[in-house]
Amino acid sequence: MASDRYKHLYEKITEALSDTKKKELLLSCVKRGRDTRAARLETLPGGAAFRSDVRAAKERCIEDLPRLKKLFIENARKRGVSVFEAKNGAEVISYCLDLARKHGARTIGKSKSLTTEVIELNHPLTEAGLNVVETDLGELIIQLVDEKPFHLVFPAVHKMAPEVAKLFSDLTGKEVADDIPSIMKVVREYMRPIFLNCDIGMTGANIGIAETGGICIETNEGNARLVSSIGKCHICVVGMEKIVETVDDALLMIMAHPVSASGQLPTTYVTWMHGRSELGESGADSERESHIIILDNGRTEMRDDPEMREALYCIRCGACMNICPTYGVVGGHTFGHIYPGPMGICWTAGVHGLETAGDFAQLCVSCGLCKEICPAKINMPHMIAEIKHRDAKTKGHLLVNRVMMGADKAAKLGSATAPLANAALKSRPVRNIMEKLIGLSAERKLPPFAATTFMQHFAKRTPTVKDPIKKVAFFVDVYANYNDPKLGLAAVAALEEHGCEVIVPDQDVSGYPSIAYGGMDQARKIARSNVEKLTPWVKKGYGVVAIEPTATYALAVSYPTLLRDNPDARLLADNTHELFEYLIALEDETGQKPNSALLAGKRFGFHCACHQRPLGSGNGAMAWVRRLGADIELIETGTCCGMGGTFGLKAGILGHELSSAIGEPLFKLFKESGVDAVVTESSVCSIQLAEGTRLPVYHPLQLLDLH
Amino acid sequence: MTYDFTSCFEALSGVVHQVNSEEAAAQKIYEICQQQQVSCLALANLPEAFIQQIENYCGGLKILKEPYPSESLPLAMDEAGIGVTGIEFAIAQSGTMVEVSDNDAVRLVSSLPRTHIGIIYKKDIIDTYFESGSRIREIISRHDRNVVISFISGPSRTGDIELKLTLGVHGPEEAHAVIIEDH
Ligand code: SF4
Ligand code: SF4
Repeated sequence: MASDRYKHLYEKITEALSDTKKKELLLSCVKRGRDTRAARLETLPGGAAFRSDVRAAKERCIEDLPRLKKLFIENARKRGVSVFEAKNGAEVISYCLDLARKHGARTIGKSKSLTTEVIELNHPLTEAGLNVVETDLGELIIQLVDEKPFHLVFPAVHKMAPEVAKLFSDLTGKEVADDIPSIMKVVREYMRPIFLNCDIGMTGANIGIAETGGICIETNEGNARLVSSIGKCHICVVGMEKIVETVDDALLMIMAHPVSASGQLPTTYVTWMHGRSELGESGADSERESHIIILDNGRTEMRDDPEMREALYCIRCGACMNICPTYGVVGGHTFGHIYPGPMGICWTAGVHGLETAGDFAQLCVSCGLCKEICPAKINMPHMIAEIKHRDAKTKGHLLVNRVMMGADKAAKLGSATAPLANAALKSRPVRNIMEKLIGLSAERKLPPFAATTFMQHFAKRTPTVKDPIKKVAFFVDVYANYNDPKLGLAAVAALEEHGCEVIVPDQDVSGYPSIAYGGMDQARKIARSNVEKLTPWVKKGYGVVAIEPTATYALAVSYPTLLRDNPDARLLADNTHELFEYLIALEDETGQKPNSALLAGKRFGFHCACHQRPLGSGNGAMAWVRRLGADIELIETGTCCGMGGTFGLKAGILGHELSSAIGEPLFKLFKESGVDAVVTESSVCSIQLAEGTRLPVYHPLQLLDLH
Repeated sequence: MTYDFTSCFEALSGVVHQVNSEEAAAQKIYEICQQQQVSCLALANLPEAFIQQIENYCGGLKILKEPYPSESLPLAMDEAGIGVTGIEFAIAQSGTMVEVSDNDAVRLVSSLPRTHIGIIYKKDIIDTYFESGSRIREIISRHDRNVVISFISGPSRTGDIELKLTLGVHGPEEAHAVIIEDH
């Protein structure tokens, strides 16, 4: 059974959720990453615009990688560097062992390198009798306790000072007080002789520059400066995707990386190493060597795979970890194999294989936020969906995920049998059976079905608008159609009030659940069908307007990637609008003033659904509510409310429980805000927020009936 | 100039001193040595005349300077409590000192001692981060074999324990920039 496979994952999530102290540290770590980044973007000229530059540079360099790699190698060799191209980890290991033997090396001082971590380089070197020391403090702690990084940028963030003090006290045999300055003093003293005596300095590289044959290494501690200057032999292990074309490309990455990670510009130390320098003056010929190992290890295959190629754009900033809702509560030992977090799923699939990635890919709730924060705009949600899809081809889908992917059919049936279905939804015994049978959480209060669908209502209307100023093709999706037709009708009425002709053309559901759970064949089928049905209207001058954020996201963001070679998908995406952005623009255009006394004196907190972030971020809805006289403010933690589409409707740890744990900090903010009610456009977020905040939750259109 | 090097470097926990001449800079270095009670000072990447002035001011201290004999490194450098290096140029926007070296002894001077002092001539401060591209390319092409360019933006820092910012874990705990106005 597919669910047996996840037993270990469930256990790990349960364990992670029960460790309050660790959870707090992790939450403050990721929150700080987001906040410091956001603060930097405020003052950075152009704000987040650099992301487009990074994206373009990465696209160009990965496309041109074979030539750039060749150029890089030639230029590095001209500077006296030995360059070795390693196909896999084993080749790196044997190359390093040979070098160590040749130099009679005893100590290798290493600075942080995820690339060597992924190939687990330290173990075989240690087994061969070498003293391999991680010199980055976080990595050193991880090495001492023999764990994997918990976070990319802060690998040991889950370790508290007393634990670390004990570690160094055991290591040095001396008493170490558990305040951080005392620990630092001990670390400095302990590390100094290791630095001074290391025979081989080993580093990664953040960048290789083709036009110069040099590498760039970024650190905050300065450990890479020490190991790369002291050791007789310097070995740099660099993934081949790190090669960029020019010095200017390198400067861009050196800025984008720390800005995205922690708001720094740039890291404290950046070492641009070209060739190997002497250490002091000697009369004799120097034996100082420099070796660059360029590692493939699955990267060529990733590059050749159109769905996975973007993984090579990653500059390892860790920002995706800082925003991922599930990673943010469970951490890298649960959400990761070696490389943690959202990119960890993609990277693990490319390097360790689909199955290993599939073991934790279910943690992705497909909120899409990682893509929005990534400096290279990597479409991880799509790649992860593709990974789930490929994995399911051999391993099958979880039953509950299959149920969620077919939720629209269930809704159709529910609506057709409304009184009965609604009674069933309200009956605890029935819900308990459903939870057992199909994994739908019995605890969740679900919206009832409407006996008459939106489509049926709409068909009965006679159009009222003559000489329309705009033509709208309305996209309704599941909830408004089967559960709340009034909402759809109110949207239509609002559009008509502004002089729009509104039609509801033949359409399918958005199909986003199929993407979220990795049913990519079905998702593509639906996308193709919607593009075929809707684009002709776009070509006739209709704008597509949708009310459900996730549906809008599917049309505007997901379809063009799903149907890469279909220009109509792009056309549909470019002409898809969120209802309230559209209404606000109409109000501005027509000068029509809403009744600004309608909601006067009311105070609302707005919740922005994740899928709105790349669209209007809810600004349209908030402006619309404000024009009706209410006070409305965005209340956010910067990540998801935890619902993750239908994820939170699922029973158990990989569903409702995890979902609630993610939502906790947001619920708290709402409860403390003193607002009268929550306003959100998402039908699923509203279930979560009603349960978590115990406040009334409204769709903006429902506010019209409030007064 | 849109950016002010001093405030940007200070925001990164660096310390800035503005002086009017090399002589005043030498005096400043001596003052810092006094304050920190160091007995050994290491120098690199500095013009001969300036080294002379430092030697004049810091007469009582042990001064290590280039050429550094290979056999003595890196151990000899560990004795220095302060390292002073010449800075090729600085970037105001990011508070960055850019050190250029074709000998790794220079890098040890700026990374092993507890305190690093970078010497910057005011004319060598550029405004924005991306302006540095042409200078970097020029430096690299000037050296057809080895060269290391080091961006130094404040003291060595880590947040690896409980995310608490701590200075000087491996590299310098203090980073000073002495800016010489008139040259
Ligand atoms: S889409 Fe959301 S849940 Fe999935 S990996 Fe990205 S941030 Fe995490
Ligand atoms: S995927 Fe993007 S956000 Fe995540 S580490 Fe890589 S570059 Fe950073």
